[in-house]
Amino acid sequence: MQHRFNVNGDEVEVTLTKTDEGWAWEGATVNQHTRGRLHVTMADGRTALAHAAKVGDVWWVHLDGHTFALERMEPGASSQQHGGGLVAPMPGKVLETLVEPGDEVRAGQALMVLEAMKMEHRIVAAHDGTVTAVHHQAGEQVAQGAVLLELEETN
Amino acid sequence: MMKKILVANRGEIACRVLRACREAGLSTVAICAANDQGTLFTELADEVVLLEGDTIATTYLDQSQIINAARSTSADGIHPGFGFLSERADFAQAVMDAGLVWIGPSPHAIEQMGDKMTARKTMKAAGVPVIPGEEVETEDEEEALIALQEAAERVGYPLLLKASSGGGGKGMRAVTSPDAFEEAAVAARREAVAAFGDGRIYVERLLSGSKHIEIQVLADRTGTTVHLGERECSVQRRHQKVFEEAPGPTMNADLREAMGAAAVAAAKAVDYEGAGTVEFLLAPSGEFFFLEMNTRIQVEHPVTELVTGVDIVREQLRIADGQPMSCGDLHLRGHAIEVRLYAEDPANGFLPAIGPLTVFRPPEGPGVRLDTGVREGDEVTPNYDPMLAKLIVWAPSRDEALERMRRALDEFVVLGTTTNVRFLRELCDNDDVVSGATTTTTIDDTWPNGWSPMQSETLVDAAVTSAAAAESFGMHRSSTSSGGAGQTDGPVSPFTTLSRRYP
Repeated sequence: MQHRFNVNGDEVEVTLTKTDEGWAWEGATVNQHTRGRLHVTMADGRTALAHAAKVGDVWWVHLDGHTFALERMEPGASSQQHGGGLVAPMPGKVLETLVEPGDEVRAGQALMVLEAMKMEHRIVAAHDGTVTAVHHQAGEQVAQGAVLLELEETN
Repeated sequence: MMKKILVANRGEIACRVLRACREAGLSTVAICAANDQGTLFTELADEVVLLEGDTIATTYLDQSQIINAARSTSADGIHPGFGFLSERADFAQAVMDAGLVWIGPSPHAIEQMGDKMTARKTMKAAGVPVIPGEEVETEDEEEALIALQEAAERVGYPLLLKASSGGGGKGMRAVTSPDAFEEAAVAARREAVAAFGDGRIYVERLLSGSKHIEIQVLADRTGTTVHLGERECSVQRRHQKVFEEAPGPTMNADLREAMGAAAVAAAKAVDYEGAGTVEFLLAPSGEFFFLEMNTRIQVEHPVTELVTGVDIVREQLRIADGQPMSCGDLHLRGHAIEVRLYAEDPANGFLPAIGPLTVFRPPEGPGVRLDTGVREGDEVTPNYDPMLAKLIVWAPSRDEALERMRRALDEFVVLGTTTNVRFLRELCDNDDVVSGATTTTTIDDTWPNGWSPMQSETLVDAAVTSAAAAESFGMHRSSTSSGGAGQTDGPVSPFTTLSRRYP
């Protein structure tokens, strides 16, 4: 799963690899969270508990006494492994539904177009997969965080 | 007997005073501007009076509105906290004229100490050593410049030009050589006129490599005036204290006694009543000089409270009520350190920061005290001072206190708004801080080109991985982003609202 972040002005692309309990990148592994906390093992083997919270598009992470504000670069919606849902980033109206259940989609493919805050947002697939459900049709109002469609990752 | 106190302040210090009143069995009234409604201090008061007006001048600095609030709520005393009206002699007088108890020293004492030149003269007369220098009372600009130039020749370089009505570094200039004098004097005068409406400047020798040591004093109406030992507040950034401790790491009993006696003499010279602080510069030679007296409770008072066991705010209430102070002989125990947590970006010239306190999880555990006016979920606005909290630790020794402060700062989680927590944490590893050899230029000497955090690539990678994983786990869709205690596992409801904010 890919994410892009603005790290102190530099764009950093993160390609997460799935592990038994979480995700890994560059030798660091991050395991399942509870109450806003993550179990982190750094590349040098040290372990720490991280706190994370998202404000707007910025992930705030507190790790080992340091605080990071990491802006997520992906525009529009965010894709979710957890439950496989794709959620509305803000309240808005569905302008167009571009896929149907059963469709095979490629990473980066547009799935739905949402109008929010007077701007169009494309909901894109973060990975290859199969659309398993479409919860909203064109013209419908959706609340912030509403799951728009569901995607099953192709292994 | 006072029964109800109005606290003429806001934020952290209002919380501190309101809690002391509650403990003393006194009812409380808070005043609050519209943009402070619902903040912590308003919830700690029995009654809240909403101030009309939308600027500081028309709210927390509006004397008649505040006195009317006290009248309408039948309060019988006013505690000013620090800042705002706390060192305004005319307000103290107005409070007393309204038949209310002013919890602080007399208007006369405030006036005597508020004007720096008058204070210097009063101290000299009382036998308290002042920094070698000269006062120039002339109001006329041209005459004043000539007089200052002559005074400067006698005082010698390097020297400091200071505004008589000054404070917080305004109207202050360091001058290292005679050819830079005139320009500096004109600038200092201009700044002083703009900030205080008073262009009077005086000259002091610049004592480089000095420590800032201040003595806490308490005086009651029965004639008892005592000191509660010293605080060292040398670590400053642009004349703003950042790191304060008690006792002073290089202090000894003889020097404490001498400085304590000088502070008590200073207080007695103006018939001081209540809690006050006499600030000194301690030169490398071991000589100390009167700097100024703050005629109010100070931000860093908790370090003294932790090492002396005296509740200074509670004593203020007692003394204002005409009772004798309750503290006996001075016994110092262990070591206390305070750091000031600001919403600011230390890596970007310490610019003030704003934002939501999406997560605000202060450290806990033995020897940790937090004085704050905010809690999780609050918004940091540009309306007021960006100080979020004071973190104070106590431990049996200085080394242990530093270790505890490092631990506490590492535990302090603030997400959503940029703070100086990491800067404070690195300060705890600074060689001068560790050895106790701090001076007023420690920060500038250590980070002459500004500060940026020391972070290994491993750590940054792990943080970015955490952010990516948090996104993939869908943490922002669960209740945790707002810091709530809800459970997070299990399917996410499609109706769950993202805890996002759009500025």
